[in-house]
Amino acid sequence: MFSFTKEQKIFDISGVKIGGQPGLHPTVLFGGLFFKGEPDFDNAKKQIQKMLYLSYKTGNPGIPDFFIKKEEYIQKIINFIEKTLPKNYPFSIDIIEPDLKIKTLSYLYKKKLLSRTIYNSIHIGIKKEEFETLKKFTPTAAIIVAFNPKDKSPDGKIEVLENGANLIDNGLLNIVKNIGIKNVLIDTAAMAPGENSGASIAAIPVIKEEYGLPTGCAIHNVVEKSKWLNEFKKTKKVVDASSNVNISLFGGDFAIFGPIENADMVFPIIAWQDILISEYTQNYFGINPDENHPRRKLL
Amino acid sequence: MEDQYYPWGGEFTSCNKNSCVAVVLLTTDYTPKNNVAIFGPLKTENIGIEKVVANVISNPNIRYLVICGEEIRGHRSGSSLIALNKNGIDNQHRIINAPGAIPYIENLNKEAIERFRKQIKVVNLIDVKDKDKIDKKIEEYINKSPPPFGKPYIAIKIVPKITSLLDDKRALHSKIIINYIGKVKKRGK
Repeated sequence: MFSFTKEQKIFDISGVKIGGQPGLHPTVLFGGLFFKGEPDFDNAKKQIQKMLYLSYKTGNPGIPDFFIKKEEYIQKIINFIEKTLPKNYPFSIDIIEPDLKIKTLSYLYKKKLLSRTIYNSIHIGIKKEEFETLKKFTPTAAIIVAFNPKDKSPDGKIEVLENGANLIDNGLLNIVKNIGIKNVLIDTAAMAPGENSGASIAAIPVIKEEYGLPTGCAIHNVVEKSKWLNEFKKTKKVVDASSNVNISLFGGDFAIFGPIENADMVFPIIAWQDILISEYTQNYFGINPDENHPRRKLL
Repeated sequence: MEDQYYPWGGEFTSCNKNSCVAVVLLTTDYTPKNNVAIFGPLKTENIGIEKVVANVISNPNIRYLVICGEEIRGHRSGSSLIALNKNGIDNQHRIINAPGAIPYIENLNKEAIERFRKQIKVVNLIDVKDKDKIDKKIEEYINKSPPPFGKPYIAIKIVPKITSLLDDKRALHSKIIINYIGKVKKRGK
């Protein structure tokens, strides 16, 4: 359990506070909606309502992370977001395909939703067209993935943020600055077992001390890629949900978990962990938990 | 599964090591017959491709790489692998003209990539849904029975240097120092 010397930035993303010293704000939990095939919006609505209830109970903010994989789903998913989420509630969009990113940004602008959008994500694959579109249609926040294919250590992650690691001509933080995105979250890029998977956790305090920015990752991806766990089906889900405690324990601010169906396990586990951290950091570093912290809501 | 022919390991099934065909499966439930040398899934356009390349050049009998299944959305791993075979990489190690999101090859040296380009002919069956058609194509290439491509090439994985020592008092990382209660500060400040 840590406290940082570097001043820690706190962002208010459409009502959700993220960042700061460990123990101040509850860990923000991004729940992934992956939509296998045609989106099932009835189930999505049910899952989001469940997550919002868990968020209300524990104090841990829950942000739905919408995975968009086909052009034909862009409008459907964004219209669903507009209709279903509480007024001004933030959400993130998770898109791999560069063309879809551009089209989605333009539609979010048209629907006046960019002030609630967390763009997931910007990484070394960014090209001129995506950069220009982001400049034109700038979301309120973006997740920067510190993925460095040649060096997966904390050093390598810092290198892509700082100077692009000779993979691109500019550091990712400069790119984001040039776009003009105000609220920057750093994702430490969790890798598969065998690919320095632990570095995504070890990098959290390094990046927090270096930049003071809210930091986290999608550590559950490491569990998903641990094929040997398939033999232990029941345990796998528990490992998946509990893997997220590593993030808060190492001073992180957010966890991207998935799928959203796991919210009923992830929220209580992280709320428990946040209480543990808060009791320590208050005693040793004088950090008073925010009024929505699980320690205030649940004890 | 790791074995002597495929030292980089990964998620694959090895069948007939003397076969000249390897099969990359994108999004598909197709399973090749056991007359191929090796088959397995490909997900990512960087680390995934590196494993495929290392695991085919280590067996000189493999001369054809059949890529089948629906393309991986966003990653475009199949098309990026074809681009690597066709164009190689640029000075920043990016696969030239690859359509994937992050198509960088960082853990293989240029020699290994050149070997891949020379040893392997890619057979593009991306988005072909008819399984019989895929079987037939594989059969067609197996029947070509070309000679092996010289000796096995064992690609060396490029690993960044780690400089920490057992008596190193630095915690976690060289950039930070953490005291006994958990206060983090930048090293040297």
